Amino acid sequence: MHELSMAQGIINAVLETAEANNATEVNEVTVEVGRLAMINPEQLEFILGVLIENTIMEDAKIVFEEIPAEIECNDCKFHGEAILDDSDHYAPLVKCPECDSLSVETLNGKDIVVKNIVIEKPDDA
Amino acid sequence: MHQVADVEVAKNIMDANKRLADKNLKNLEEKDIFCVDFVGAIGSGKTTLIEEIIDNTDYKIGVLAGDVISKFDAGRIEKHDVPVVGLNTGKECHLDAHLVGHGLEDLPLDDLDMVIIENVGNLICPVDFELGSHLRIVVVSVTEGDDTVEKHPIIFQTSDVVVINKVDLADAVGADADKMVADAKKLNPNVNVIKSSLKQGSGLDEIIKVIEEAMN
Repeated sequence: MHELSMAQGIINAVLETAEANNATEVNEVTVEVGRLAMINPEQLEFILGVLIENTIMEDAKIVFEEIPAEIECNDCKFHGEAILDDSDHYAPLVKCPECDSLSVETLNGKDIVVKNIVIEKPDDA
Repeated sequence: MHQVADVEVAKNIMDANKRLADKNLKNLEEKDIFCVDFVGAIGSGKTTLIEEIIDNTDYKIGVLAGDVISKFDAGRIEKHDVPVVGLNTGKECHLDAHLVGHGLEDLPLDDLDMVIIENVGNLICPVDFELGSHLRIVVVSVTEGDDTVEKHPIIFQTSDVVVINKVDLADAVGADADKMVADAKKLNPNVNVIKSSLKQGSGLDEIIKVIEEAMN
């Protein structure tokens, strides 16, 4: 539901890096979306499409990579990828795959990270 | 001529908020202030609970009252003679650490020993935004339906205390308060779940006790 502010953050990060590298155009943007971030990639893509109009990333292809949920179980101390039970939820329950416990610390999978961009720039830049 | 280059950005969009949340917490701890952040559904009783805590404890409390566009909550709390700063999120569905940081600047922190933050009524978006509090309490009420807890798992998994409010109305609205308690316990086995009826005066002592335990 807060895709607008996330999209603005993504665009700022992309344009800052693009400008620092003298880009004339951004061709591709890869964004890592944690499986547990309360973000719907489809909505994020939609709002990004609106906000990048009239910028040098206007025609960029946006690639989303899903980052799995990494947990440590408070009960059995399992460390690794969680089972995500999303049978009833878009936002999934996070479970330990070893002992089924829901008492887990999430170590990774909540973030939105702009990973890299593909840019065009003049030869002499 | 143009060349094409692959450039690493590696920028975590969530990091900016986390850094500010850490800064808020540090700022509060330097002044020995305990901070509680209330999240919960619209109309679940967050503001009432804050009013009751102000009226029934001796802490020197300051409040940051989040609202999307209105000042109603801040106005209600102001009547209890405590410093309050209204935070309007405008189009956004959650408070973030940046807004809270500015709110803290407007509170007389040197005169306080507790800051209470009231988030925007929403069980989804606040999950992604730490604010810099010591304790997060999620408030829901039976009138939202007894499936509210199981429908919003993550906020119940990531909060420290769950308050199920308006239990006196459960029969009238056909809701099972104990199911909500069980759902919360299933999602977060170590969480404190408290049933309350703030208008009838029940549950408040237990909530205050849990806050005090977290302070020590």
